[in-house]
Amino acid sequence: MTARAVIDVSELPSATMDHRSTIWWGNLMLLCIETMMFALLVGAYFYIRQNFYEWPPPKVHDPPAIYHAVPLLTVPTINLVLLLMSCIPMAWVDRACLKHNQMSVTLGLVVVILCGAAVIIFRFLEFHSLLFKWNENAYASAVWTILGMHLLHLFTGTLEFALLLSWLLLKDMDVKHARDIRVTATYWYWIAGVWLVLYAIVYLSPRFL
Amino acid sequence: MSALVLEQKELNEPLERVALERVWKRPPGFIGWITTTHHKDIAIRYIVTAFIFFALAGILAFFMRLQLSFPENNILGPDRYNQFFTVHGMTMMFLFAVPVMEALGLYFVPLMIGTRNVAFPRMNAFGYYTYLAGGILLYVGLFLNIGPDTGWFSYVPLSGPQFSPGKRVDFWAQMITLTEIAALVGAVEIIVTVFKMRAPGMSLNRLPIFVWAQLITAFMIIFAMPAIMLGSGMLAMDRLTHVSTHFFNPAEGGDALLYQHIFWFFGHPEVYIIFIPATGFVSTIIPVFARRKIFGYTALVLSLISIGFIGFGLWVHHMFATPVPELGQSFFTAASMMIAIPSGIQIFCWIATLWGGKPQMQLPLLFVLGFIALFVLGGLTGVILASVSLDLQVHDTFFVVAHFHYVLIGGAVFPLFAAIYYWFPKWTGRLLDKSLGLWHFWLFFIGFNLTFFPMHQLGLKGMPRRIYTYAYDSGWANLNLLATTGAAIMGISIVLFLINVWRSRHSGVNAGPNPWHSPTLEWATESPPPDYNFVYLPTVQSREPLWDEVSPPVVCGLSNRKRESLITTLMEAAPDHRYELPEDSIWPVILALVVGGGISWAIFDPWAVPISALLTFIVLCFWFWRGNEPASLTHHVQSSEDLQLLKSEANKI
Amino acid sequence: MSRRAREHKAWRFNVGAGVILLMLFAASGCRGSQNVLNPGGSQASHISNLWWFYFWITVSIYCLVLIFLISAIIRTTRKPFVPAGSREVLPTNSDEERRKTIFIGAAIGLSLATLFVLFLADLFTGRSLHSLRAADALTIKVTGHQWWWEAVYEDQVASNQVTTANEIHLPVGKPVQIKLASHDVIHSFWVPNLHGKKDLIPGHPTTLWIQADKAGVYRGQCAEFCGHQHAHMRLLVVAEDEEYFQQWLSRERSNAHIPETENQIHGEKVFLQTTCVMCHAIQGTVANGKVGPNLTHVANRRMLAAGRIPNARGYLAGWILDPQHLKPGVQMPQHNLSSDQLQALLDYLESLN
Repeated sequence: MTARAVIDVSELPSATMDHRSTIWWGNLMLLCIETMMFALLVGAYFYIRQNFYEWPPPKVHDPPAIYHAVPLLTVPTINLVLLLMSCIPMAWVDRACLKHNQMSVTLGLVVVILCGAAVIIFRFLEFHSLLFKWNENAYASAVWTILGMHLLHLFTGTLEFALLLSWLLLKDMDVKHARDIRVTATYWYWIAGVWLVLYAIVYLSPRFL
Repeated sequence: MSALVLEQKELNEPLERVALERVWKRPPGFIGWITTTHHKDIAIRYIVTAFIFFALAGILAFFMRLQLSFPENNILGPDRYNQFFTVHGMTMMFLFAVPVMEALGLYFVPLMIGTRNVAFPRMNAFGYYTYLAGGILLYVGLFLNIGPDTGWFSYVPLSGPQFSPGKRVDFWAQMITLTEIAALVGAVEIIVTVFKMRAPGMSLNRLPIFVWAQLITAFMIIFAMPAIMLGSGMLAMDRLTHVSTHFFNPAEGGDALLYQHIFWFFGHPEVYIIFIPATGFVSTIIPVFARRKIFGYTALVLSLISIGFIGFGLWVHHMFATPVPELGQSFFTAASMMIAIPSGIQIFCWIATLWGGKPQMQLPLLFVLGFIALFVLGGLTGVILASVSLDLQVHDTFFVVAHFHYVLIGGAVFPLFAAIYYWFPKWTGRLLDKSLGLWHFWLFFIGFNLTFFPMHQLGLKGMPRRIYTYAYDSGWANLNLLATTGAAIMGISIVLFLINVWRSRHSGVNAGPNPWHSPTLEWATESPPPDYNFVYLPTVQSREPLWDEVSPPVVCGLSNRKRESLITTLMEAAPDHRYELPEDSIWPVILALVVGGGISWAIFDPWAVPISALLTFIVLCFWFWRGNEPASLTHHVQSSEDLQLLKSEANKI
Repeated sequence: MSRRAREHKAWRFNVGAGVILLMLFAASGCRGSQNVLNPGGSQASHISNLWWFYFWITVSIYCLVLIFLISAIIRTTRKPFVPAGSREVLPTNSDEERRKTIFIGAAIGLSLATLFVLFLADLFTGRSLHSLRAADALTIKVTGHQWWWEAVYEDQVASNQVTTANEIHLPVGKPVQIKLASHDVIHSFWVPNLHGKKDLIPGHPTTLWIQADKAGVYRGQCAEFCGHQHAHMRLLVVAEDEEYFQQWLSRERSNAHIPETENQIHGEKVFLQTTCVMCHAIQGTVANGKVGPNLTHVANRRMLAAGRIPNARGYLAGWILDPQHLKPGVQMPQHNLSSDQLQALLDYLESLN
């Protein structure tokens, strides 16, 4: 036994629920990667525009032909509102995690999962608001890819919450799982936020630009 | 968080060591090997695998050189040659250069910042197995004569559905997907580990330059890799029969140039992703062998950061021969020249460090000197290529081949060899043999110059790239034969190197923990380091911790009954909370099998995508489903009964 | 001499040898066709001048860096040596550090200024290259195919248009507009003696202006990987005085030579009744295939198969019978012709001048 100068960390907590945790930073890096992916996809969308006289380009491959194939607004807008509104129960779950209120978290997660499932179902309907199929032209390919990639995120987020909910129902909530729920909540806010921008680009920009 | 007080404490280091050995021990045999989550195991695996791919790509290159030695040669027909140069490029870029650079980071970053493992050890293992799957996929394709054959950048429309029917280009696309997943995984590890797990006192301005280089590279990977994933994904979708998107089909508004923009938006940062870690090696090695601290730490860090940023603004210089607007081209000329400034700053700082020091001509330094001589030459031909007018003549010729081999071999492989000679004693406890090393260096240096210097000339004499042969009346035969001779010499030097590594592992001169008397933290522990890296995590008070007069305090209080490390704050690295690291796990390799298998199968059947997505979800459920310990469990070995138990177990180790 | 000093000496020798090699290489490569540094026209001249400007500046910079690097190693060898593995760490002198900082600052400033000069030189060269233009210039539309070059001499009068392949003639001393397009994948039009290259990208037609100032035959080659026979996609540019050019052009405009001898007539029949007619065109006959090169005046060309073989009877025979042997992967099929048919066909093709 030798005496040495030390810093004793045994009293420090073993997990935190906020941005100080490693998993929060891992999630942030994932969001950077995915944001970059969407940014490039949006760049490709606008790049393709210079190859067309009419924007959105006409739909000609299947009857009926449509000259100005602007995507319809109703279903997408409902879906956008649904997604943005789902952030409210999400924020509620977030705060309940901080207070370790297991009942609130459980209920809130059920609401969020239902919202997520609804948004996914509406997304499938939303594909029909696009008046063209993905193989109509380059514009169509870009739009379908944007919607499709975002749909993948919707799936991932909703399934993650389903998994976390299962844990909560079977076991007790602890700091680590509260942290995981909060980190997934950040992911959910991003899913909603990025969709706001993508919605504007896909559905609004052809009408105004 | 209670205020942490610096105190004097009685520490029982042998007991702590025994307890940590037990907690960090791997299960025996093959299970232990396949389920490991130790960052050093995984990093060594990356390095060994990357060098196997390096050798394979070198063999491909040697066949290419044989084919080009004589006009109208018939060792390789056009189909075989096209596959060889494509797979050579893909192997070197995706299976060797980026993985080996990341691997050195995955090995040394946790050690240099004084922690026990990377932030997400299981994900790290998954990254390796995914990378391995990508490499196997590519070579299975090559050996079955369905390897990709449209160049490592696989331009459309040649690689599109019309002109490349069959599965070859799909092997390209899917291999890229797998290796980019691995690269992104490694990048996330580096960033989160560096930001959150540094030793107390290691504020950002005390970070070793090696770690800065790895951090900046990791950020570049985060922002550049999505482009190639998108590009290869779009190409795959264009090619799939029932999908048939039109991203690159000009008949439906798609654009062949869109592909080039997306590809090179990734492709240019890619070369800096390979180069910047190499500068980290150089900035580590020069101070040790000049016996003084690095000159211009701040300038070096700022240079690396600016290369990281400017590197994203150069990509159109690969497209000067295409119909992009001329005013835009000038912007990219200016940016491509600007990046020479931070690179130059680094060179000047390195020379300034040597200037004031007392250089010891050991092999690491010799390779670093070779690097400077060759990289500066390559960088200057880069300035030539930055000029639009000059590029229009030498683009897509052997001049460019010469340029990028000078900057990639000179600028990355030479520092890599320097790093291996430098760190081999840390990995194995033994030094590499010096005279065999000198043979390696000189043969490699001479062979390299004989191979690639004449290619500048060949480009100026009109020889384009990617030609499987050339005419008798072209006048290119002599220089090509010279280049092949150089390639043979390079090959011999690599064989000598491999012999050196093989022999020195067991019979090299014994090195202690710090044979070069280096200042960074990896040398503060044994060679090779134990699985838990340090018995007590260090703290630091300067940039060169092991060159300080006084040893700073160490961290105590971390559990020795479970795998635990310390999380510190982002800027000042003050201790924040304790972090539990996972046990060894089978799930990373299973997930890699699902992802690798699914992505490979998707080449042949699109149903692979939803099926493997479902399987991925199931595996991730198992991965993340874990128990938690009741807070009341004491996490220290304290009682005498515990002590007795541990001592008896220690006697068995 | 100590081992270390010997290593330094060897190091210096190798660097010196390298520099000399560099000079030798530079000197030995300025001749010949398809050579960047042997300009035959104004565009390539501008670029070649720019090349030498850049070359000497970059060589000087390189030598300077090497001198400083080697000095840094050598000068310290005069101080007492620190043995390998020594614990000694040299302290840093803040005055010396400051001097070094100032010196490096100056070096950076000099580098910036040099790069700026190089940038301006490129900008001016670019401007000169773009200033080559003329109204009413000869316009040639070059379309890249896998793996041959189609060239159409445009004219207001449709019947004056000339379609040929793989060999372009130009008048000396006049600007010529080359319009570039691709039929399939990306190719690149590159005649180093005359100008830099330009990519032929489907969906992105573009233009290149060149001018030949010296009469001669200049070789070009496709410079963007385009598939199996990218290596054998060459072209010839024949620059000749105006009157020879006009003679060539009027001959090209005329219909194909009508076969006279019995063999030639038989050969024409072979051409029109086998697969040849499906891909090739001969102006003045019913053959109007657009897949392969136009053969109306094929006998006048110096080379065949996009520069793969010289235009001589034996090569032509081998090409017709088995193109896959000479250019594996090319779209032209093998032909099963009897000896009589082959000889007749050769006679006919040789008469197409």
